[in-house]
Amino acid sequence: MQPDGYHEVEETVRGVLRDVLGIDADRAAKFDEATPLFGALPELDSMAVAGVLTELEDRLGIVIEDDEVDGDMLETFGALTAFAASKALT
Amino acid sequence: MLRFGPDAGPVVIAALPLFEEANRTRAFTVTILRALAERGIAGALPDLPSQGESVRPTHETTLPILREGFAAAAASLGRPAFSLTIRSGALLDAAAALTGRYHLSPMTGADLRRELVRARQASARESGQPFDAASIDTAADPVELAGNMIATQLLRELTDAVPVALATRTVRLETEAKPADAKLSGSPLWRRAEPDNDIDFAARVADDIAAWIETCAG
Repeated sequence: MQPDGYHEVEETVRGVLRDVLGIDADRAAKFDEATPLFGALPELDSMAVAGVLTELEDRLGIVIEDDEVDGDMLETFGALTAFAASKALT
Repeated sequence: MLRFGPDAGPVVIAALPLFEEANRTRAFTVTILRALAERGIAGALPDLPSQGESVRPTHETTLPILREGFAAAAASLGRPAFSLTIRSGALLDAAAALTGRYHLSPMTGADLRRELVRARQASARESGQPFDAASIDTAADPVELAGNMIATQLLRELTDAVPVALATRTVRLETEAKPADAKLSGSPLWRRAEPDNDIDFAARVADDIAAWIETCAG
């Protein structure tokens, strides 16, 4: 079961990807749990990852330590959302 | 210095963010200043030492040099001046004689250092060249961070630099978690790798600045 607020976090992650990567709203709206991110979205290079993480911090009021950043959390939209929710909802 | 609007009355003088974000927000800032001119308020956008057209190399600038440059530009206007700063630009208006300060999505020097280091680490991972974050505090020579050569003195000064809170209106995007006097809808253009603009957001900022200046004039 997903905790309260999970959907809000998911929409925040979607908004961050849209705004930071300049992805149009229709395309971002179609992202689901299985949508691959790093390595699959050409806009998401390593510099853009830094921007995405920092913007997530700003919007969710969380702090992401550099040693928490790994390939797994960036693999899919679902994985990034689950990571963000684990920081924001505890 | 770019100038906009009428020759009399108050003038809004803008400070762009430091480093790469200056490129990403310049067109947006000019759009805000033009929108203010349409509302009868003058605007100015100076090139600070090592920014824009300045001949000073980026790695020779420090926080006091930037603040003095901004203060001198504001004084040269000879009229009541209000600052409009974006992001780390909020660290640059401390030395200026201003009637009020308008900080859009301000950040501390520590936040800026963290973002620079994070971007540098990202590019280090991509290139396979190791990067030790602690080296920015021990290096004697300028450090390259996110494509900019930065003096180690400036990096040290940023550690505890915070925006001045005197006569300040702090405004953020409605998506930001941090507190603010007001929140506006818009997109965080400073994050975009490709410079972009948001004319509707610029108009909302201009409306808010115009209303705030009227309040200050009492």
